[in-house]
Amino acid sequence: MAELGTQIAQSQGNGRGLGRRGFLVSALAGGSVGFGWGQLPATGSSGTAQAATAAPYSPTNLIEIDASGVVTVNVTKSEMGQHVGTAFAQIVCEELEAPWSAMGIHHVDSDPKWGVMITGGSWSINWTFDALSRAGAAGRISLIAAAAKQWGVSADTLTASEGRVSGGGKSISYGDLVASGAVTGAWSEDDLKKITLKPAGSYKIIGKSVAALDIPLKVNGTAKYGIDFKTPGMVYGKIVLPPTRNGATAKSVDDSAAKGVPGFIQALSLKDPSGSFSGLVLSIADTYWAAIKGAALIKVDWDAGPTAHVDDAALVAEGRRLQADPNEGALWVNDGDAIGALAKASNVLTAEYSTGINLHAPMEPTNATALFADGIWHFHGGNQFQSASVPLVAKAMEVDVSKVVLHQYWLGGGFGRRLEGDYFIPAGLAAKALGRPVKVVYNRTDDMRLDCARSPSWQKLSGAVDGGKLVALTHDVACGWPSNNVFPAGLGESLDKKKVDVFAINGADVWYSFPNHHVRLIDNKLAEATVPPGYLRSVAPGFTVWALESFIDELAHAAGVDPVAFRLAHLDGAGKNAGTAPMSVGGALRLAAVLKQAVERSGYGTKKLAEGAGFGVAIGQGQERAAPVFTACIAEVSVNKKSGKFSINKLTVVYDVGTAISPDGVTAQMESATLWGLSLALYETTTIRDGAIAAANFDGYTPTRISQVPPLDVSFISLGNFPVGTGEPATTVVGPAIGNAIAAASGARVRSLPITPAKVKAAMA
Amino acid sequence: MAITITVNGHEHALDVPSDMPLLWVLRDVLDLTGTKFGCGSNLCGACTVHKDGKAVRSCQVAIGDAAGSSITTIEGLSADSQHPVQVAWIKEQVPACGYCQSGQIMTAAAFLTQNPDPEDEEIIRAMEGNLCRCGQYVRIKKAVQSAAEAMQTKGATTNG
Repeated sequence: MAELGTQIAQSQGNGRGLGRRGFLVSALAGGSVGFGWGQLPATGSSGTAQAATAAPYSPTNLIEIDASGVVTVNVTKSEMGQHVGTAFAQIVCEELEAPWSAMGIHHVDSDPKWGVMITGGSWSINWTFDALSRAGAAGRISLIAAAAKQWGVSADTLTASEGRVSGGGKSISYGDLVASGAVTGAWSEDDLKKITLKPAGSYKIIGKSVAALDIPLKVNGTAKYGIDFKTPGMVYGKIVLPPTRNGATAKSVDDSAAKGVPGFIQALSLKDPSGSFSGLVLSIADTYWAAIKGAALIKVDWDAGPTAHVDDAALVAEGRRLQADPNEGALWVNDGDAIGALAKASNVLTAEYSTGINLHAPMEPTNATALFADGIWHFHGGNQFQSASVPLVAKAMEVDVSKVVLHQYWLGGGFGRRLEGDYFIPAGLAAKALGRPVKVVYNRTDDMRLDCARSPSWQKLSGAVDGGKLVALTHDVACGWPSNNVFPAGLGESLDKKKVDVFAINGADVWYSFPNHHVRLIDNKLAEATVPPGYLRSVAPGFTVWALESFIDELAHAAGVDPVAFRLAHLDGAGKNAGTAPMSVGGALRLAAVLKQAVERSGYGTKKLAEGAGFGVAIGQGQERAAPVFTACIAEVSVNKKSGKFSINKLTVVYDVGTAISPDGVTAQMESATLWGLSLALYETTTIRDGAIAAANFDGYTPTRISQVPPLDVSFISLGNFPVGTGEPATTVVGPAIGNAIAAASGARVRSLPITPAKVKAAMA
Repeated sequence: MAITITVNGHEHALDVPSDMPLLWVLRDVLDLTGTKFGCGSNLCGACTVHKDGKAVRSCQVAIGDAAGSSITTIEGLSADSQHPVQVAWIKEQVPACGYCQSGQIMTAAAFLTQNPDPEDEEIIRAMEGNLCRCGQYVRIKKAVQSAAEAMQTKGATTNG
């Protein structure tokens, strides 16, 4: 593999060693980013001659310390805007006691040696913090041991700081120690576990807002994304869109008219053994422009397939039909006897909530290049879930998984779209058919209409209150299950021993103490057959929390209790809501704390509002209960009661991040997640029509633009608890907070996303 | 017949179809991949470059119509990433995924040349056509303000 990497680098006219492949997705602190590895500053006194000869020292495969003192962190997570590598480098740097300027990152290609490779779920920091800390600490201990041996003293008499080991009047740099060849020591899992890590509160670099290592490459055009890859002999492919998202067949393909386009080569009609694609037709040409022109002239006789009649209404009707059958669905929460309690209760409140289909639409349209060399299929393109994409692509290519390598790039947005590996397949099958490298770039319409979109959801909730508290709540969710499409092995088991997609129901298992609580997840197979669903940023809580937190407000209203007070009354941290060390230690009491901070910062309950203005609140736990990011949002809105038009005066968002690795990085993620939540709440919508996704570009699907950004106040609590990921949580609470604020301001309760002036006006009537 | 254009100070004689968008000439013919493809329809701004000093969407400019013109891409905005807009983009830590940022920076640079002392509303209007899916807008606005201040200070020093 290493050999081939070098070959590819050389074929691109690059030098030795890590070559171009190495620094495409690598960066170094200390100002030399973007100029490759040849110009690294010498951080020790060892000089480059030794650096070239002595092997780097790796206490674990996550880090390498070379003879010039440069520390490279092998980042197994994808960089898609979260600056994850920078945070990883900080974690390693802290325990290693290296100078920050010596830290570098390298985003690795798919290789089984890295273990499970997935970037999603806001899992990167919390699942990696311990291993990275221990790798850094092991490096420090080995370096000290080497110096102790060299000087004939006890390791206890030596200390490490800023990349040097010192003691007894002597001092040596890490680089010189590595260059001497004396740093050895393999670390077993058991040895690593025995290391005592620094306590929170004693950190030097964790908790500092360092400049993100990837940013310099992203202001001068040198950051390389998958779409930027090029290789000799490569031709371009453009998708010829089928009439439906799924299940179409190309009965015949006629490319005679396209042959007149200079540079057009041929149409390809391909069978995909993985089953990801049906009706896969490509326009192949010498240039992408010729492929685009050719695609427009290729005539295909399509069979639109079995879902050609399906539209949004049909999916809602199917959700409704399934929900009405008590035997349908998998039981996800069953505390007390909610159904029995509601049967006995007077004044049962019932509401239906829905979300439509939502698209990822990353700014870098889905794309991939495939090439075959030395018996290996090489795929170039950013990906978030190598552990699932490699097997999928291998199935499509009809080769063993060992014959597929995914080469990593900076991702021009992920948002969950690149968790699915389907977009490698057109390039791979075309390269196989043509016997030459092929780069397939989806244009924006292809990207939107072939998205593994977030499934529409339809939810029904019933509840009753008494004496200011909840008596019982039932929550039924019907939607397409993304794991059935992307990762069936990821299906879990429900309380009633059925298969359940946790990624279609997370968020409904709240940290509130409810005496009687019943949650059921129903699989809408028609939705899955029509638009194979994917994971979209924050995944299930993007719709479950929307319904739940809106309905909690309806219940608070019915109970005659202020919505914040109603929530706090159920956040007692008792029983299963006490939390578990390390990730959810403190439990619901930490959720109460973020809510209180949001109340204080927003002026909820104290600020005097104008007529037509209102506050709304929503809280959540991020992507999943087991690794919670306790989150609160308070929206302040003004509503015109005649027109239904409304404006967002301010969004206040508070997280409890446990421990912030890079505070400015956390703030950036919070701003991003808040605006994603706003976008889904107000602006992003399309429809399913005749089995196809209707949106064709950013005029039909309209994410937030700069003029639509309201004043934001984002802040976080960082008290030394276990660090958690911050990329998703706010996305889940902004929608219900806005909906609740609109209801508070005007009495209009909107129960479907996106919230629009027309829906607000209709709800007031 | 070859089409001649100047890109980042270098003249190129190109044998490409005259209807080929400048975007694909830059990316696929000249290997200047800093200019990004986002929508192909003048809806996202990711492909923004300067044509004779003015910001244009390179996906909307046929190469035949660019003949004889001078194009600047992100790679040519400065030799050392020290254009005030680039400096401000680093200072405010603007990029997230970064894919839209070449276009954002080129839009901001051309705007500030025309309007060195913009009001906030003018910044918003100027940047409205550039979509950022990561939602870095708070930072984009701050960075344009910061670049404007830096350019004014620099101008004042030079003039004074």
